[in-house]
Amino acid sequence: MSGHDSKYFSTTKKGEIPELKDELNSQYKDKKKDAVKKVIAAMTVGKDVSSLFTDVVNCMQTENLELKKLVYLYLINYAKSQPDLAILAVNTFVKDSQDPNPLIRALAVRTMGCIRVDKITEYLCDPLQRCLKDDDPYVRKTASICVAKLYDINAELVEDRGFLDTLKDLISDSNPMVVANAVAALAEIQENSCRPIFEITSHTLSKLLTALNECTEWGQVFILDALSRYKASDARDAENIVERVTPRLQHANCAVVLSAVKMILMQMELITSTDVVRNLCKKMAPPLVTLLSAEPEIQYVALRNINLIVQRRPTILAHEIKVFFCKYNDPIYVKMEKLEIMIKLASDRNIDQVLLEFKEYATEVDVDFVRKAVRAIGRCAIKLERAAERCISVLLELIKIKVNYVVQEAIIVIKDIFRRYPNTYESIIATLCESLDTLDEPEAKASMIWIIGEYAERIDNADELLESFLESFPEEPALVQLQLLTATVKLFLKKPTEGPQQMIQVVLNNATLETDNPDLRDRAYIYWRLLSTDPEAAKDVVLAEKPVISDDSNQLDPALLDELLANIATLASVYHKPPDAFVSRVKTSIQRPEEDEEFDGVDAGSSESSVHAVDNSSSPSVSSNVPYASTREGAPAAPAPAPAPVPDLLGDLIGLDNALVPVDQPAVASGPPLPVLLPSSSGQGLQINGQLTRRDGQIFYSIMFENNSQIPLDGFMIQFNKNTFGLAAAGPLQVPQLQPGASARTLLPMVLFQNISPGPPSSLLQVAVKNMQQPVWYFNDKVSLQPFFTEDGRMERANFLETWKSLPDSNEIVKELTASLINNVDVTLDKLAASNLFFIAKRRHANQEVLYLSTKIPGNIPFLIELTTTAGIPGVKCAIKTPNPEMAPLFFEAMEALLK
Amino acid sequence: MGLLFSRLFSSLFGNKEARILVLGLDNAGKTTILYRLQMGEVVSTIPTIGFNVETVQYNNIKFQVWDLGGQTSIRPYWRCYFPNTQAIIYVVDSSDTDRLAIAKDEFHAILEEEELKGAIVLIYANKQDLPGALDDAAITEDLELHKIKSRQWAIFKTSAIKGEGLFEGLDWLSNTLKSGGG
Repeated sequence: MSGHDSKYFSTTKKGEIPELKDELNSQYKDKKKDAVKKVIAAMTVGKDVSSLFTDVVNCMQTENLELKKLVYLYLINYAKSQPDLAILAVNTFVKDSQDPNPLIRALAVRTMGCIRVDKITEYLCDPLQRCLKDDDPYVRKTASICVAKLYDINAELVEDRGFLDTLKDLISDSNPMVVANAVAALAEIQENSCRPIFEITSHTLSKLLTALNECTEWGQVFILDALSRYKASDARDAENIVERVTPRLQHANCAVVLSAVKMILMQMELITSTDVVRNLCKKMAPPLVTLLSAEPEIQYVALRNINLIVQRRPTILAHEIKVFFCKYNDPIYVKMEKLEIMIKLASDRNIDQVLLEFKEYATEVDVDFVRKAVRAIGRCAIKLERAAERCISVLLELIKIKVNYVVQEAIIVIKDIFRRYPNTYESIIATLCESLDTLDEPEAKASMIWIIGEYAERIDNADELLESFLESFPEEPALVQLQLLTATVKLFLKKPTEGPQQMIQVVLNNATLETDNPDLRDRAYIYWRLLSTDPEAAKDVVLAEKPVISDDSNQLDPALLDELLANIATLASVYHKPPDAFVSRVKTSIQRPEEDEEFDGVDAGSSESSVHAVDNSSSPSVSSNVPYASTREGAPAAPAPAPAPVPDLLGDLIGLDNALVPVDQPAVASGPPLPVLLPSSSGQGLQINGQLTRRDGQIFYSIMFENNSQIPLDGFMIQFNKNTFGLAAAGPLQVPQLQPGASARTLLPMVLFQNISPGPPSSLLQVAVKNMQQPVWYFNDKVSLQPFFTEDGRMERANFLETWKSLPDSNEIVKELTASLINNVDVTLDKLAASNLFFIAKRRHANQEVLYLSTKIPGNIPFLIELTTTAGIPGVKCAIKTPNPEMAPLFFEAMEALLK
Repeated sequence: MGLLFSRLFSSLFGNKEARILVLGLDNAGKTTILYRLQMGEVVSTIPTIGFNVETVQYNNIKFQVWDLGGQTSIRPYWRCYFPNTQAIIYVVDSSDTDRLAIAKDEFHAILEEEELKGAIVLIYANKQDLPGALDDAAITEDLELHKIKSRQWAIFKTSAIKGEGLFEGLDWLSNTLKSGGG
């Protein structure tokens, strides 16, 4: 029987594939072409026709361009699944890349780039090299893109063959399209590489600016993107570039407009003249507004980008808030974005108009939109103190409409308003209590309960109100339970009568015994313990004055904002996420062999194993020091045997995202005595002195370690907590092994804007230092603003006057420095100039000297200073104007120290 | 009138497009021979990674000539081209005596192929212009051509650079094919 069954496996019927195979091998060209078309058709619908690979490739050498294109298409698709056979196509590529027809040459080189097969890339280099130098610009531009593709497959090959240099030469090509494509290719390569490959020099800059005016719109986008990464040498340079680029703002293509905006924004950072900046802001407004008249999808992209732009430069669109008013037929995603921007642009000047709009929105039908509108009112109230009252009255009006979700949303935002302006608007609580029964959302309930607890003493029936909530305590979500617990405790502490006492018993019982939510249980136990040990202490803890909140919920972290602004007009600026958060790219870094060896040495467990800590670093400035650190291996005072790498622990302890910096070599430094930061009495014999100093335009942390203990100390590392200036170590701390009684002094280079702490400016710098023998030492340093004054803070007279006038009066802060004394004006001015406080003008007023100075701190924040004094008599009146008035206290401290 | 004649001819012979493979070790001169036959001139070549295909019209026969790369890495793919082949031109570098043994092995391996059973074989003892080149008799000996059974074959002394011997070989090929040998 089995003998007969074999017939089921053999068939006389030919399948589709053999049929196609026959046709592909036909000697008639038409039949061949039809067959290839059939193959491509099968391929596009997902049938596997890879078994026809050789037959299709054999059709490749043809005069017929159409047929050739089809075969190329097939190759791109299947070369990867037939990597061995793909080699058969090489010769044809080579031939085609020398074809008299430039279209075929370009087609060949483009297809070659798309075939990602290792075995054949090598053979493609020669044709590519030829095409890069082709006479026809179309071929050159196609070849330049091919280099970027090849780099992605085999970076080393590209570098060895010198394609990068050829590509750089193409930036000076006579054809603007070639220039644009070379720029695009280089930018792509740069993104994939850790090494600097594509840097625009002043020479290439002029080439790019010329090509910009002549090439196609998408070419313009590439060039503009590249230009936005160019670091102008000074303000003048930046101004010149921006001037050449501004005409692009009028372009009809929105991608060009956005790229031009990005480029101008980036260069604006360098421009110091407020006049120029104001002018540029004026010029950027109309194109951005125009983007909002495009299709909704483009509007959305524009709005997401504008959202970023207004966070950095609110002035650009400050007068254009009306264009962000929602139209009734806007899609919901556009409306939501517009609301977001309206909040950001709301100011004392336009708040009435804005509130009218918000009120209107709050009565629309889309629930999400209505809620967001109500929230928007609340956020405006928090943002604009002077408008808070108006906002609240709008909210109260909305509550009166009695639409359930409006009421609930309003209560949530009113809670935040209370937290922002304590003891100001409590009179409205009565109105809120009227809607108590309608609350059914946890967040609204929790907010209301918080209000009742916080203001229990002003609400006569607070206990009744809370009791009504307590009935359903076990069923409530955790959010509400936690608030109920806290509110009840507050009520009890404020009104320790019998009713609340019973309530607290019930709640604590419920929260400790009946619940399985650990947060709730823990909090209940803490309250219980507090109340039972010392009710007065409990009062101090629970009823302590709370800090006032500010609305930064929708503000991006400055570092992230910087990164996103650099990525305007890309997906990143739409997502509001850095590109590496959603694009995974493997950075190809071609390590030089000697570096590799050093890394091996480190990995092999040498004395430098602390370098591992740096490997985990998220801060690029530090990780770039790794090879540097390891080259110093074997320095005279090499540390003692392998210390275990524990620094991650330290990082967790103080919640830093900056890496520890290994210590490996002594550095000689000397200078004036430094203030003691860690006395040896509290450092088990280790004393640390330190201070920030400025040298050659850079900030250093000058530190001295003194070992008064009985044991040698080594493996010093340092780390800084988040701070106002974002200070972090830029390099390794270089301290040798400290024998008992020895001391070492070092200068640690610092970088700024690494781990910025939110909140008001503070001079506090928290430092952690560890070594291999002792526990981690934490200490605080009080930072002076003085080392932050930058060398470029000098202002021209006219500029000074203008800046002074352009800043509102609210930005002027005056302080009497009573302890300061100026004996000789010139001596003082010299001294100030040495600290980068630059003298601008002087006038006499009665018998007083009035001095005008300027300075600047990183982040491009200028300070305009007016000092009024009578020489020889103590007391200096110091008036400053700055866009950042929060910095004023720090500034006065520094000034006082300088004038001592 | 001329058009009519050419149509007549093509109906007689032209339809028959003979498929011919040019095989041989690398650097034997296959690509040079192909373009010498097609264009009548010597082109500068680089090693063929893959194949070249050209149509050569000779003696009223259209030859579709496939020149396949001879490098070791590509030889395994020769077999992709075997089906429907009427003739093989096997090119030997007569001056490369060191590799004649390899050339012989490859040659006999080809003859064993089932798909090439009906193909006639033309051997070009190429590079006769070089000093030290073996003549056709010596090549016949070294390739053991006498072992070929039940197949028509011929060997010609050629020099692709000088253009000698190629068309004599092609004459033999076209005559043999016309007489139904293929």
